[in-house]
Amino acid sequence: MIFDSYEAFRAANFTAKVCILGSGPAGTTIARKLGAAGIPVVVLEAGSREFSDESQDFYRGTTVGDFYFDLDITRLRFMGGSSNHWAGWCRVLDKQDFEPKAWAPDTGWPIRRTDIEPYLPEVHDILELPDFRPDVPISDDIRWVQLIKSPAVRFGEKFADELDKSRNIAVVLNTYATELAGDGKRVTGARLWSNGQDAGAFSADYFIVCTGGLENSRLLLWSNQRSNGGVVPNATALGRYWMEHPTFEGGNAILANYNEFEVDAVNEAFFSPTLAAMERLQIMNFGIRLIETPYPGVKSLIADLACTAPDMAEWMSAKLSQNLRCAAQLYVAWEQAPLASNQIELSKTDVDHAGVPRIELHWKKSELERRTLVEGLRLFGTTLIEKNLGRVRIADWIANGDDYPTKDETAGHHHMGGTRMGTDVTKSVVDANCKVHGMDNLYVGGSSVFCTSGECNPTTTITALACRLGDHLSKVVAV
Amino acid sequence: MSFFIKNMSRRTIVQALIALPALSLFRKLPDADANASHADPSRADPHEIVEVNGWILKRSDLA
Repeated sequence: MIFDSYEAFRAANFTAKVCILGSGPAGTTIARKLGAAGIPVVVLEAGSREFSDESQDFYRGTTVGDFYFDLDITRLRFMGGSSNHWAGWCRVLDKQDFEPKAWAPDTGWPIRRTDIEPYLPEVHDILELPDFRPDVPISDDIRWVQLIKSPAVRFGEKFADELDKSRNIAVVLNTYATELAGDGKRVTGARLWSNGQDAGAFSADYFIVCTGGLENSRLLLWSNQRSNGGVVPNATALGRYWMEHPTFEGGNAILANYNEFEVDAVNEAFFSPTLAAMERLQIMNFGIRLIETPYPGVKSLIADLACTAPDMAEWMSAKLSQNLRCAAQLYVAWEQAPLASNQIELSKTDVDHAGVPRIELHWKKSELERRTLVEGLRLFGTTLIEKNLGRVRIADWIANGDDYPTKDETAGHHHMGGTRMGTDVTKSVVDANCKVHGMDNLYVGGSSVFCTSGECNPTTTITALACRLGDHLSKVVAV
Repeated sequence: MSFFIKNMSRRTIVQALIALPALSLFRKLPDADANASHADPSRADPHEIVEVNGWILKRSDLA
C-alpha cells in the first residue's frame, strides 16, 4: 500500500510492528524482506514520488574544511532516495576492506566479507546485475578490477507496484520523523512531520533508520539531544568517522595496445592495488579509472601528443577541425582513512522548515590519503612499465604538490560512516547486527554503518547489508 | 610565422608537432648527484624507473 499522507495512512488503520525511515536501497530492501516474512511494516518517505525543490530544501547545509558539493544536491529526497541519481556501478567491498590495517587507525569491521557474501545472489536480482567476475591480477601490485554495471535500478520506480500491492508493507509519502524519543533502552516513539506540518506522535515496536549517509547521523544527533541521550546512549562516535571517495583527474597514460584491457560501454577500465602493495607502501585502497579514447591513424598520434603537450595538441586539433583528447585519461578515487574529526554536526544557527538543525559537515582529506594518491599512480605507472603496457603521466597538480583542484569531480557522492559498526562503544554506534549500542529496538541501515569505505561504489554493499539486516530482523521481530 | 604554417601540409605539421613533446622530457633530467651511477651514464641501469616532468619512465626511454 502506498499513501500520500500520514492522514490517509491513519485512516487505513494499518498497524505496523516495524517502522522504517527512508525508502532508498536500504529501507526498501529491508521492508521487502520483512514484508515477505509476514511482518507488518510502515516505510516513512520524506519526499513524494518525484523530485521537488521544496523537499530538497530540507537537505541544505554547510561544509567546513575541504571543498565539497552543496549538501542539497549530493543526495535526493524522494521515493527511492539517492538510487534516483545512482550511476549503476556495482562491486562489493574487497575482503581486505573488512580487515584492520595496522598502518591506519580505526580500520576493520566486526564482520567479514563472508558474512555478506551469502546475500549476493539476492543483490544480483535486486540490482539486475550480470554475473560478478573475479579480478584479474596484472602484476604483484595491481589488479584489473571487475566492476559490473546495473541498469541503475531506481528503487522507487522498480518496486512501486510491488509495494503498492503488498498487504504487509505500507509506504507513507511526504512523511518523516523529525525526531525519535527514547529512554536509553528503547525508542518510545517518533514525532512525525507530514505534508508541511506536524503530524503528531507515532509508535512501533522497532525503528530502522535508513535516511542516508548524512541524514542518519543528523536524525540521531537531534533525537539524542532532545531526549538527553535517550536514543543513542553511547554517542561518542555518533556523526564521526564520516567518509567519501575523493575523486580527481590524476593524469594520462599512453598505452602500447589500446585493446589490452577490455573496456565497458563508455571505454572505461578499473585498477586497484593488491593487499601486498598496500601493506608494503602503507597506503589505503584506491581505484584508477582509465578512460580510453580510441582514435584511428593520425588522430591516434595527435591524441598521444595531447598527453604530452596538451596546448599544442589542442591548437593542432583545432587546425584539423577536430576535437581530440589524450588517448587515455586517468581518474583516481581512494579510500579515506577513517578520522573521528571528519564528522556531521548540527548547525547551531540554521534550522529547516520543521525546526530541525541543518547539517554542518566537517570534512578534510588527510596526509595518508595524499600519499595514497601519489603512490597509487606511481604503482600503476611502474606496473605498466614492467609489463610493457605503456607509460603514465602524473597530473601537474599532484606532481607539484599543489592543492586539490576545486573544479574537478571532487568525490563520488558516496556518504559513508557517521553511525559506524563496531564493538567498541566509544568508536562505533551500532553493533555487528546494525543495532544501536544499548538500545533494544533501534537499528540503522545504509552506508552510515560502514567502518571503512574501500575504493568501490557502495550501493552493492549497502544492499547486501540490508538483506542481512532484513533476515536478522525477521527472526528478532517474529519472536 | 603564419606564412610558414599556412604553407605547410597537414602531414608536416603533424610530424613536427609529434616530435615536440620529446623535448620537454629533457627539460628536467633527474639530478645527476642523486645517484652515483648517474655520474657515468654508461653505467646507469636502463631499467631504472625515473620521474621526469610527471612522466613515470624507464631510464632507457630517455636515451
